[in-house]
Amino acid sequence: MRRLFYLVREAWANMRINRTTTIVAVLTTAFTLACVGIFLLLYVNLRNAAGSLQEDVKVMVYLEDRLPGKAMQELERKLRTDRMVDGLLFISKEQALGEFRVQFPSESHLLEGLGENPLPASFVVTLASSFRSPDAMKGWVERVQTMEGVAKVDYNQEWLSLLAELIGYIELAAIGVGILLSAAAVTIIGNTIRLALLGRREEIEILRSIGATRTFIRIPYFLEGAVLGACGSALSLGILKFAFELFRQQIQLTGRFSGIEGMISFFPLSVCLALIMVGMGLGFAGSVVSLLRVGEGRP
Amino acid sequence: MDAIIQLIHVSKWHNRKAALSDVTLEIEKGEFVLLMGASGAGKSTLLRMLIGEEQPDEGQIFVHGRNVTKIRPTEIPYLRRKVGAVFQDFRLLPKKSIFDNVALPLIVQGASEKDIRRKVTEALRAVDVDHKKDQLPNSLSTGEQQRVCIARAIVNGPVVLLADEPTGNLDPERTREIMELFKLINARGTTVIVATHDLHVLNHVNRRVITLVQGVLLSERRIGQGVGV
Repeated sequence: MRRLFYLVREAWANMRINRTTTIVAVLTTAFTLACVGIFLLLYVNLRNAAGSLQEDVKVMVYLEDRLPGKAMQELERKLRTDRMVDGLLFISKEQALGEFRVQFPSESHLLEGLGENPLPASFVVTLASSFRSPDAMKGWVERVQTMEGVAKVDYNQEWLSLLAELIGYIELAAIGVGILLSAAAVTIIGNTIRLALLGRREEIEILRSIGATRTFIRIPYFLEGAVLGACGSALSLGILKFAFELFRQQIQLTGRFSGIEGMISFFPLSVCLALIMVGMGLGFAGSVVSLLRVGEGRP
Repeated sequence: MDAIIQLIHVSKWHNRKAALSDVTLEIEKGEFVLLMGASGAGKSTLLRMLIGEEQPDEGQIFVHGRNVTKIRPTEIPYLRRKVGAVFQDFRLLPKKSIFDNVALPLIVQGASEKDIRRKVTEALRAVDVDHKKDQLPNSLSTGEQQRVCIARAIVNGPVVLLADEPTGNLDPERTREIMELFKLINARGTTVIVATHDLHVLNHVNRRVITLVQGVLLSERRIGQGVGV
């Protein structure tokens, strides 16, 4: 018990003696990890947004003009029995015209000059959730397009593919930036531990001379690294949360991008805890690197 | 008598200069040995080898039955727990109390709170600084600091006590007191080896004297009779 108390107290003493270095290390680690966090937050939110947008995606199956009732019924049967189809809604030519007039009241006079209603009848198809990936949707659309009585199939294919591509790039950037800045965090914490080690060289010599094992000598420095990493990580989450709330407030105030306000969210608690653990791990790694470099703790 | 320390044809070079040259000697359990010699004679090198801080270039060293020249690095801390060491510069931790300094070898070994309290109190009492246990080392005189250093060296009951120039920073009166303390520790059964260049120490100790000159074991003589005080 006293040994554990001693080791924790030594780690605390290390941090207190090198107070300025410790504070600088925590701050720089926090800003470094916050940079990684920005990419991570962007990535998580875009993925969520893509997921919810895909849930709303409806495929419009436009029918050929003057399609006989029997052919229409046959097409409806085929679509309803398709395992990829979750829901189906028929929009007649008249309903389409009515909706057009409701949605675009100022442009409705454009259609009046044409005499006959030019809008086609259509089926609004909702695909089952397991078939909403861009590839699955593309395959389904290509298949339906060849069906008898189908004039055109329409959905926001390009937009969804672009979003998927963007998410892929952000994922790559997050990994790249994450690796680079994590290495920076390890170096920052490693240098702090190194300073602590050099400042306490004499004490380490004394510990060695009275029979302290390598592990006993190293534990306070491992603890210090882990605490610095965890503090840096927690502070980076604080910075991110502050910036996130500021961004959300700006959206509310200006009214710009108001559509995404409900779609964005901060990391859940479990992810926050996991990120603090990652920070702790990086700090620990920093200690290991610096202990190996200084060669301390040798018998 | 059992040999607790054995050096067999031990040689060591520092920058191509012999620090120890073909030294062979045996120290028996319970002996009090003075290792005499001028600075650079090889006394400190010999003591450092006994606790595995340095390895000889040639020869074998046995301490308490263990071949120190073949010991694994991970076993060295356990060897040092059996061999207490006292230094000329005391090597006390300035920001820790006297009690905490003396308790350190026990903490390192994972001793219980109760054992630590009892053994530290006993050790401080033995060197007569128990009334200063809550003070910091720098508030003590040099003689008292050396006593604290001795208390730390004996607190876990080592089989051998090594002292490297323990009176180097002390006046004649404190030197006498410290040597008396070593005699007491030796009388309790601990083998004591004191390395010194101070010839006045001979006035206080009438036991075995080993003299080193430029790394060579020049003479070995016994003053007085028997072993112990």
